[in-house]
Amino acid sequence: MPPTDYDLIIVGAGPAGSTTARFAASAGLRVLLIDKRQELGAPIQCSGAISGHGLAAAGIPPDPEFIHEAIYGFAIYNDRGDRTVHDYRQLKGDEYGPGPGKKPLGYVVDRRRFDRYLMTQAERAGVDVWLKTEGLGYRPRPDGSCTVSLLRYNQPIELTTRVVVGADGLQSQVGKWAGLQTHIKITELAGCLQFIVDGVETEGLLEIVTGHEWAPGGYAWVFPKGHGYAEIGLGVIATMTDKPARWHLDKFITQSFFRDRFAGSRILEVQGGGVPLAAPLRTQFADNMILVGDAARHVNPITGGGLHTAVAGGKIAADFLVGHLGDGLPLQGGALEAYQRAWLGAMGDKMWKLYGIKTGIFHNMDIGERDRQLYATMSSYFSPTSEFKKI
Amino acid sequence: MSKQQPVLFSIGWNACINCGACVAICPQEAGFVSPFDTIAVDRPCDIACLLCESICPVDTITHVPVEQPAVSVVTVDR
Repeated sequence: MPPTDYDLIIVGAGPAGSTTARFAASAGLRVLLIDKRQELGAPIQCSGAISGHGLAAAGIPPDPEFIHEAIYGFAIYNDRGDRTVHDYRQLKGDEYGPGPGKKPLGYVVDRRRFDRYLMTQAERAGVDVWLKTEGLGYRPRPDGSCTVSLLRYNQPIELTTRVVVGADGLQSQVGKWAGLQTHIKITELAGCLQFIVDGVETEGLLEIVTGHEWAPGGYAWVFPKGHGYAEIGLGVIATMTDKPARWHLDKFITQSFFRDRFAGSRILEVQGGGVPLAAPLRTQFADNMILVGDAARHVNPITGGGLHTAVAGGKIAADFLVGHLGDGLPLQGGALEAYQRAWLGAMGDKMWKLYGIKTGIFHNMDIGERDRQLYATMSSYFSPTSEFKKI
Repeated sequence: MSKQQPVLFSIGWNACINCGACVAICPQEAGFVSPFDTIAVDRPCDIACLLCESICPVDTITHVPVEQPAVSVVTVDR
């Protein structure tokens, strides 16, 4: 293959793209990371929860620059307000806690600062970063490389690269460029809305409220957001309600068992997004192209959590590409399927299993039984003995 | 594709929170997007599945039917 402008061009500087970029550049690849936005992380479409081991495994120190608040456990509620608490300050008090020598279980991060931090680390590892740069398409070339068309401050630019990494989120266009089946079913995309509020007390726990009454097809949450702020949100499946998420969130705040707790809340921010409660994409590669993060639907189908899976997937993608490109292996004709196999082995197979559990719950047509199953599943999912706690 | 009549979407920007859910659910080919990361509002949608309207967390997408597809191919019902 003749020389190319870059080894990798990564489209999208979210957690998945920046992590892929950082590990790839650290290993010596020439990497261009582009994002069409002027400011990363915004508009915020995410609650921002990530486990401590998720950060550590991706080589990300828990820097105060991006942390809103430390988390020490979970409280899972049923539709009536009964709850199961897994507070790791009590369960494993010698390991988890606020004191010296102890650590938090996880964090709620500020997505604007988190995404910028990860991009900065990538840039310091040698990645070229271009903001205000949109990917328009790519064409594999007969010589085994490919050409990527970009638009940077309205200026069209064509660059050659060996691999394009699509890290452009749930609305991924890169996957569509390659003709991949990226369409998600309406029954598997939760419409989510959350308010950042003042005046709601929290206790260092991620609180998850199950029940069709409050969040049909999904769940509601109350997360600590630091500085005395909290995040109240929920996600619903459109086919299970004829009302939008906003209607359900208003109902949750004013009519649920938390109505007294929320009575004095004042809304500081409004955020929303689509959260896939779905299986990973069956095909996450094409000629000269792989997908990572939300674009590959690397999202936990039970919790909707996508930060840990994004940074973990970014490291898997980078490690694969470093080896594959280093060995001079082909990039077309299905050769990049090896990436998908590596990802499935490292975390994808577990996500498929979670998808099976989730599907089993929501295919149950009896609402009461479904509520009981979701509450029981969520309660055991976050327990110290859960087989899935590393996902 | 669908036998639905093509539609032109309209977004109430005052309520839109730029969450991207409409683009995420959209089965259109690449590029059916607006500069504000929503579904396109400057050309008709010939699929007209209206999934974007049902997923929108703030219920701010509406549509009007349009007479013909924007493309030059016109099919005749028999």
